[in-house]
Amino acid sequence: MAQGTPYAAALAAYRPQAQRPLAPQTLSGEALLKAFHPDYYAGSLAPLQVGPNQGEMCHRQLAQVLQADARIDEADLAGAPVLETGILVIGGGGAGCAAALAARQAGAKVTLATKLRLGDSNTVMAEGGIQASIAPADTPQQHYDDTMRAGRRLGDKRLVARMAMEAPEVIRWLIQQGMQFDLDQYGDILLRRAGGASAERVAYYRDYTGLEMMRVLRESVLNSNIQVLDYSPAVELLSNELGHCAGAVLSSLKDCSYIMVKAKSVILATGGIGRMHINGFPTSNHFGATGDGLVLAYRLGAKLVDLDSYQYHPSGLAYPQHLAGSLITEGVRSAGAYLLNARGERFIDELKPRDQVSSAILRECAEGRGVAAGEAQGIWLDTPGVELRQPGLLKERFPKLVDLGKKSDVNPLTTPLLIYPTLHYQNGGARIDEHGRSTAPGLYCVGEVSGGIHGKNRLMGNSLMDIICFGRRAGAHAAERCHLMSHKRVSLEHLSRVRRELALAELPLDIKGPMLFPECAKPEKDSDYDGLRRNRGPEG
Amino acid sequence: MSDTDDELVRVTINGKEIRAPGNLSTIQALWFAGYPRVKGVGCLEGVCGSCRILVRRKDSPEVAMALGCQTLIEDGMEVHFLVFPTPTHHAYQLDEIANSWEVQAQFHRIFPEAVHCRHCHGCDVSCPKGIEVEKGVELAGKGRFREASELFVACVMCDFCMTACPEHIAPNHLGLFARRVTAYFHIRPSNLISRLEELRRNEHPIRTD
Ligand SMILES: Cc1cc2nc3c(=O)[nH]c(=O)nc-3n(C[C@H](O)[C@H](O)[C@H](O)COP(=O)(O)OP(=O)(O)OC[C@H]3O[C@@H](n4cnc5c(N)ncnc54)[C@H](O)[C@@H]3O)c2cc1C
Ligand code: SF4
Ligand code: SF4
Repeated sequence: MAQGTPYAAALAAYRPQAQRPLAPQTLSGEALLKAFHPDYYAGSLAPLQVGPNQGEMCHRQLAQVLQADARIDEADLAGAPVLETGILVIGGGGAGCAAALAARQAGAKVTLATKLRLGDSNTVMAEGGIQASIAPADTPQQHYDDTMRAGRRLGDKRLVARMAMEAPEVIRWLIQQGMQFDLDQYGDILLRRAGGASAERVAYYRDYTGLEMMRVLRESVLNSNIQVLDYSPAVELLSNELGHCAGAVLSSLKDCSYIMVKAKSVILATGGIGRMHINGFPTSNHFGATGDGLVLAYRLGAKLVDLDSYQYHPSGLAYPQHLAGSLITEGVRSAGAYLLNARGERFIDELKPRDQVSSAILRECAEGRGVAAGEAQGIWLDTPGVELRQPGLLKERFPKLVDLGKKSDVNPLTTPLLIYPTLHYQNGGARIDEHGRSTAPGLYCVGEVSGGIHGKNRLMGNSLMDIICFGRRAGAHAAERCHLMSHKRVSLEHLSRVRRELALAELPLDIKGPMLFPECAKPEKDSDYDGLRRNRGPEG
Repeated sequence: MSDTDDELVRVTINGKEIRAPGNLSTIQALWFAGYPRVKGVGCLEGVCGSCRILVRRKDSPEVAMALGCQTLIEDGMEVHFLVFPTPTHHAYQLDEIANSWEVQAQFHRIFPEAVHCRHCHGCDVSCPKGIEVEKGVELAGKGRFREASELFVACVMCDFCMTACPEHIAPNHLGLFARRVTAYFHIRPSNLISRLEELRRNEHPIRTD
């Protein structure tokens, strides 16, 4: 049993109230993080023993897969069919689709391989919105400053500046792909403020921003003469005689067979890591978010950054259990929802950066001021208070929230929701330059798998922006270079080096990576799989 | 929250008898019972539209279509996971439509079947999101794309309506067409355009120190 006031008793004591004062804060933001943020949990980090980041600290769970043995070797590829393409994009979320579309637009031959159905991704789940400085009172400079400040000044200045400058153009591009945004009566884009931001900068479409983005980009890809291989996770990258990335090995889930794809450049866009359940937290991420791209890139020699830093979103649903981890968008807090402990007190400025808000929730629970529901615990998200202040707003702006309420048998208009931080986002990833190039030649990394933009903390809406911004840049850049390169002999040569290093460091060789699927479901055992779908379009 | 036997409910999933706690979704129930399903699993939050299932509840002859991650198991329930239908043959590029005056004509070229709608409600009945699909088809057919587009706000592209439609209309792709042309031709926000103009004139250099 978790400690705290039992759910029923806490709920009985709760009274909806329009205004509540904020209690004075005793801890500075920094001290709060050090005391309660999971990134600072004692013993959770370990130095990496092999690879480009050798000697640097990394979360233990991630270190284990980064230093795992490959799933395949040369023998597995005997007789495997070989497919040749110009640019291979791995990952079918927002970043992958943007990269594929930009590369195709620039005239390259493009193949997009993805683990599940095209569009199964973290992108489709995003609710809150996407940041771009388009309000007259806002500037790209402010967008830059806010992003750097939230990331504790650890973000890569060039990347952040690039993103802040290009953000408005990205919004235009999305509209031209057919994406809608919520508009005011004159047709201007409505904006809301993200926690930790100095201006209203988050554009959105209801609380379906990611769904709207993803269904539009998917449709665009399927109509663009891009070869789509779904249900085909990448299990290893291929290298040429120079050690450059030159393709990938895919595992078709249909019949567990391998396919070799030779490419002139590879764009890795495999997304995040939530389903690794770092520090045992529930996650808001989709089923395929198992950090595969980090493992693949690391083995080929790509340098990673900020491997000790994860984002725990303050508002994951804590109860009922079957929905635990499901996300409630930050937009609800932007719209004015308070966070309350079991005694009905506010304990943090709700619009502080996410890492601080999550830490404050963890503090309330650790110090016995939380609400306990069986094994789960949490604090209240005071949605009824919002309803009192702005009747109708929740229903109109947050249909998904109201729907989530229905599924959990709680009416958020009258009853507060029990929430607890949920593992949400991997702040770090592969180091990239302004074109999305990793430090491994021939390999681009874009989207959540890349690092350096958000430092050690990300603002709401900056991820959807970064994935499209750098996705497009990488696609265009790779396509431009395509004609300069020819197909070379490809192999798994880099694995000999990896295995040598693992053996020298006396690391176990029985752990295999990448993970591909969460523990509860392994494709090798899915007996009745039948899934490969062909792309449609002129080439069929 | 114990899992003693009498709290477990009995369901049949793809022909397999499974016992699992009643507060689990069909997918969680499979995992609970040791079937490592990955096929058709996606976001687990009801927005990716991948986990298409047929459901028959105890003592009911009716077969409903639903999303697996959003459906809690009940005693005596029968569940069948479905695969995706072959992709739609409707193909188009937005930039092939010269201007907004052409949208209607292009619509009928791209979706020639839309006018054959039999009003059989097949699409409406099959939609797990409760979308008025049939009405959307009718509105788009009349060229009222913006109105049609509003109906498909919550569409997760699960393709159920496509499977159900005897006329091969692909109503969800039609709905998405209505949505996309609305954005492509009619979203022209002055706040965005002003900022783009300022950027074009280099009025916003960024200091990175
Ligand atoms: C619930 C939720 C809400 C969010 N809300 C917001 C928000 O409001 N605003 C915001 O800016 N950000 C938000 N985020 C974060 C943001 O959505 C993600 O960081 C972003 O969409 C990541 O995009 P991506 O393309 O890099 O990865 P994804 O969209 O996750 O796509 C990765 C793709 O790669 C595939 N893949 C993975 N491994 C392999 C492999 N081995 N081989 C082949 N394919 C593979 C996956 O199946 C998936 O299709 C949210 C995230 C979540 C989970
Ligand atoms: S309209 Fe069609 S594709 Fe969209 S949710 Fe309904 S049934 Fe699924
Ligand atoms: S299923 Fe097809 S034919 Fe029937 S009402 Fe819907 S769109 Fe019309």
